[in-house]
Amino acid sequence: MRIPSGRPKRLGALPMTSMIDVVFLLLIFFLVTSNFAAPENRVDTALRAEGRATQAEELQPQIVEVRLSPSGNAVFTLGENTVGSREALAQLLRQLPPEGGVIVRGSDSVPVQAVADAMQAAIDAGFDRRSYSPGSP
Amino acid sequence: MKKRRKKTHRAVPPFDLTPMIDVVLQLIIFFLFTSQFGELVRTEIDLPEEPGETTPTEEGPDLTIDIDASGNYLIASEVMTLTEVEALARAEIAAVGEAVSVEVLIRPDRNIPARHLNELTQSLAGLGIRQASIGTVAPAVPRTSGGGG
Repeated sequence: MRIPSGRPKRLGALPMTSMIDVVFLLLIFFLVTSNFAAPENRVDTALRAEGRATQAEELQPQIVEVRLSPSGNAVFTLGENTVGSREALAQLLRQLPPEGGVIVRGSDSVPVQAVADAMQAAIDAGFDRRSYSPGSP
Repeated sequence: MKKRRKKTHRAVPPFDLTPMIDVVLQLIIFFLFTSQFGELVRTEIDLPEEPGETTPTEEGPDLTIDIDASGNYLIASEVMTLTEVEALARAEIAAVGEAVSVEVLIRPDRNIPARHLNELTQSLAGLGIRQASIGTVAPAVPRTSGGGG
């Protein structure tokens, strides 16, 4: 049986140059690949020319009008109902069949945020077919 | 007598992997950086705060149109008139083949009047583009009231 000698094996000097090279490369790699910008989402919609149907529709789509109230706030009108928040609009839309889709009509004066709110309410209510069309000025 | 030369085997130098790994990593970083460049030129826009679709598409749009806080239309950070935007959209339609297949991403400022969005969507619809996405950003704190006005 071979008896190992008690003397420890001498380790070679650690090559610092290559290690620094690799560390710097990894640092640059992670800096480049990390995304500092806030992640963006999307709200998909079909585009409709003003006052024109894009295709023959069997089911009547729900129409959401987005306009400014006399007090200057954006409001959403669906049929006879007018509500002032995205959640309330989604609540109204949930009571309707989503098969026919929804058309959001944004008035020229409302902020874009209100139009996006109406779109989001349609998404939240399960409407897969969404169209956007300019509303009354 | 001529001395016979002893045939010596030339020692093949060991293949040094270190510079090769260095170069390969440099190339990987280069390609990663250049592929990310398209994202980096994204204009800073105060997008509408919405969670958006639950399953966002991975593919990039054919045309990205920004609308800044002053109502200017921007493509690749360059301010353009609506006519110039239409010209670029026409070029994109020609490149893609048909207008209905063109995917447009509109990144509007959340506070501008929808008039700017309406003018743009009308122009795009007039060219035959039927599908568009509105860029949104997830709200940092979930909003309880909507309306945006």
